[in-house]
Amino acid sequence: MSEIAALIVDDSSVMRKIVERALRQAGLSLNKVHEASSGVEALDLLKSERVQLILSDINMPMMDGLEFLRQLRAQQLAPDVPVVMITTESSEEHVREAILAGAQGYIRKPFTAEQVKERVLPLLEPA
Amino acid sequence: MATPVRELIQESPHASHLDEAVGEVFSLMMGVSCAPGGEAVSEDRETITAVIGFAGAMSGACTLRCDQQAALRMAECMVGVRPDELDATVKDAIGEVCNMVAGAWKGKNTVLAAGCMLSTPAVVTGTNYQLHLQQPEFRVDRNYRFEEYAVCISIVCESIQ
Repeated sequence: MSEIAALIVDDSSVMRKIVERALRQAGLSLNKVHEASSGVEALDLLKSERVQLILSDINMPMMDGLEFLRQLRAQQLAPDVPVVMITTESSEEHVREAILAGAQGYIRKPFTAEQVKERVLPLLEPA
Repeated sequence: MATPVRELIQESPHASHLDEAVGEVFSLMMGVSCAPGGEAVSEDRETITAVIGFAGAMSGACTLRCDQQAALRMAECMVGVRPDELDATVKDAIGEVCNMVAGAWKGKNTVLAAGCMLSTPAVVTGTNYQLHLQQPEFRVDRNYRFEEYAVCISIVCESIQ
């Protein structure tokens, strides 16, 4: 698998570091990791940066992860980039809502690198 | 006849669910075991408390309280480097641990998982302070121990919808 650029969206800088570490432990080759502390910041970043993977929290101030996802799709930013939600919200309803908003994957916190590998790697394989 | 929401929440084994949630979070995110038991966190020293609010099917809060050394150790386990003091990283880390414990706990009850939302974390530091909450419907107060450190975690339900 070739190297990719990823965007991690979470209002917690600690969690952004943990997610990046989990991606690397899962075997992803990352040549660039962008970070955003909010959906607003992430949308702004995506206007000028290309990424091949987006991971986003849901519960964030100003703009939650689902609204970020809806805006991402509505503004056609990163149209073919898989988005995986990483969140403490665990019900089937939340998963369904995220998929309907345009997410390709869902990981519940707390998580292991193995769970990240299972949910993320298949999304990056060539069609 | 369907069991009322109130009953489904009140009769849930909250303490054992909390123990499971705490064990999962500490094990998966910090690589340490954390089990019920041990003494309460002393209020004489500087402590740090994270608060996550619940809203929706249940309103209330989850609080996590520990002393400075425990907080530094938790942050070290999460980010790989031990901070020197209770800085922004430590407060962020403690807030996230409380967030994940609250989420994992509510996820063990189907009504709360679907119908109860979490706030973003609030973190308080200081000495000799007490948290006062109005008469709760129920509360669970547990002392935990990981390595040589004590952590107190509470779930307080102010009301059920």
